[in-house]
Amino acid sequence: MKKQNVRTLSLILCMFSYLLVGAAVFDALESETESARRRILELKRTEMKKKYRFSEDDYREIERVVLQADPHRAGRQWKFAGSFYFAITVITTIGYGHAAPGTDSGKVFCMFYAVLGIPLTLVMFQSLGERMNTFVCYLLRRVKQCLGLRRTEVSMENMVLVGFLSCIGTLCVGAAAFSHYEAWTFFHAYYYCFITLTTIGFGDFVALQKKEDLQEKTPYVAFSFMYILVGLTVIGAFLNLVVLRFLTMNTEDERRDAQERASIKRKRGLRSHINLSLRRPESPLGSLCSCMCYRLEVCESPLPSHREHSGCNINSVYCNSISYRIQSWSPRDNTGLSSPGSTLSLGHNFREYPCCRRKSV
Amino acid sequence: MKRQNVRTLSLIICTFTYLLVGAAVFDALESKKEKTQKKKVYDRKQELMNTYNLSQFNFDELERVVLQLKPHKAGVQWKFAGSFYFAITVITTIGYGHAAPSTDGGKVFCMLYALLGIPLTLVMFQSLGERINTLVRYLLHRLKKCLGMRRTEVSMVNMVAIGFISCMSTLCIGALSFSFFEGWSFFHAYYYCFITLTTIGFGDYVALQKDHALQTNPKYVAFCFIYILTGLTVIGAFLNLVVLRFMTMNSEDEKRDAEQRALLSRNGQAGGHNQMRCTPDLPSSSSAASGCGGGSGNSGVGGAGRGLRNVYAEVLHFQSMCSCLWYKSREKLQYSIPMIIPRDLSTSDTYMEQGEAFSSDPLHPLHSNGCICSMHHPHSAISSVSTGLHSLTPYRLRHSKRRSSI
Repeated sequence: MKKQNVRTLSLILCMFSYLLVGAAVFDALESETESARRRILELKRTEMKKKYRFSEDDYREIERVVLQADPHRAGRQWKFAGSFYFAITVITTIGYGHAAPGTDSGKVFCMFYAVLGIPLTLVMFQSLGERMNTFVCYLLRRVKQCLGLRRTEVSMENMVLVGFLSCIGTLCVGAAAFSHYEAWTFFHAYYYCFITLTTIGFGDFVALQKKEDLQEKTPYVAFSFMYILVGLTVIGAFLNLVVLRFLTMNTEDERRDAQERASIKRKRGLRSHINLSLRRPESPLGSLCSCMCYRLEVCESPLPSHREHSGCNINSVYCNSISYRIQSWSPRDNTGLSSPGSTLSLGHNFREYPCCRRKSV
Repeated sequence: MKRQNVRTLSLIICTFTYLLVGAAVFDALESKKEKTQKKKVYDRKQELMNTYNLSQFNFDELERVVLQLKPHKAGVQWKFAGSFYFAITVITTIGYGHAAPSTDGGKVFCMLYALLGIPLTLVMFQSLGERINTLVRYLLHRLKKCLGMRRTEVSMVNMVAIGFISCMSTLCIGALSFSFFEGWSFFHAYYYCFITLTTIGFGDYVALQKDHALQTNPKYVAFCFIYILTGLTVIGAFLNLVVLRFMTMNSEDEKRDAEQRALLSRNGQAGGHNQMRCTPDLPSSSSAASGCGGGSGNSGVGGAGRGLRNVYAEVLHFQSMCSCLWYKSREKLQYSIPMIIPRDLSTSDTYMEQGEAFSSDPLHPLHSNGCICSMHHPHSAISSVSTGLHSLTPYRLRHSKRRSSI
């Protein structure tokens, strides 16, 4: 089976097993506490109902009012500062839910806002993360030079180590700050920073929810926003370093497969077509013999696999440059060098022909 | 300024502007309602307190109990089904928060679980998304052939259109199902699906929270899980198609810069040794893990003085470089304005194919574009046809930094 398919299937299996294992462990860790706590709370509720002589309906009404009042307990959520906080949670996909649009138009705008904002943010963080990695690599090399080390190249292990330390450092700085400002324990603040910077964002702990913090404590508000964005950049840089290559693995493999097929075909086709490549072609496409061979092979592969499509829109320019170079080496054809535009037109003509058209040579 | 820096700065500015604009609009849309609702709820609260003769202290106590009971209202959250649901929300980073670990042990495990699970899930969705895109491309190609169309290549526009339509249908199917099962309006169910599948996951709407569905309705539970995972795959496939290339842009540019520098320095020293500097191009998608250190091994191969043959090679190399340079000059034109959206999403199909080439490293064939007339192929005219094309094969096996001699 193709490597990409094996990889994808293994990943799916891995993920399902991971979910099953996680579910089992969470069940074991939390179930007991949950049922115990629930029992206690229900007892308390019955007690209170008796104490205040609530009927079922009364209680339900009070419950409803309390639940409705809950988001307002944390102060105004939709003034500019609060909205900015909300906008951050949307485009970074953290999504605490401490504030969620109540109006329908707010929901609609939220969806459109996310559609454009999330890719923008993803690309921005990766872009900035790559810049940071480059800079760190440069700094590290200079440090190694200064320290007079013999080998001043920066290896992947160095970079991963520095990246990992930065992530831990960022989490600890945040934990220290939030535990101070929000009066959480260090552990809870660390947990909050972790859940935020991985963009999970449960919402069980949310910063800036103490009464009127959003409106009054402007430096702290600014710090929180900066922390979230900078922290996400650091995590993004680490992901860019470690994970991004895996995200493109299948695509790279497809490309490599296509090129392999191309070169194999070319080798075969070349022996019979080697003379033709030096003859001036009747049409621009005549010189594309090797390209066509490759292209034809890609498209009409006798193999029942679905490989052919991969050549369809990936390697036409590949073909172009091969053909172009063939033309330029042919002694009677000098057009290639002087008119780079022909490459483009070659490509254009080439594109007009269906992938699987058999061109006689 | 370097292109990558310009790009990064523009993206930062864009994002900040986007946040400011969003904040202003949300403020305008929601502030008023919040104010009126707050007042209403507060008034109602006062009413209740008067009716039942409750002091503030009593009410606070009540409030505490009610709020603490809130997660339990929706049923048992941590039995296996609920835990599985929770595990999904963790590793996909949706994170509703309808259930969150209350024990410290649970919190610790949650963090470790996420640490490994999130990259695994990211890679899995992109992998599966790429497979789906490949399959769709194949199917579309066959369909075009069957319909007897003249041009059976599948263009980027086709793929994007299909991807977009799949996303919309996934959202609509989910909206229909959840509006039926959860008793939400279609719009609210759509909003729920959207917020879930973009992994934002506010938690204002959460499925499987009514009538103890987690314990009593296993079919619906299974449907929800499958819907979330499949929906994320569809979105992931679309992202793989459209967004992933932008995430690797800076790395590609760095690599290209490094190779350019190498090429220039190699051509500058006619036949001299080409020392591969440590170029900070580590985060490249196709490089081996050895990073900078690995490149130096090739230096001996590249420019060892070979006299006339080398000069001839250089001449031909520069001849064939013309197309490359032309490609690059076109690229420079395209990049003169730092763009976030590259031209390969433009309307022209032809451009699309070549745009893909432009957007990645023209000197690096593994990034699928045709400018292979790089330092790999200096050779004589006659034998060049065979050797030139043959020499294409070596680098497919190796990382691009290999410099093969004639």
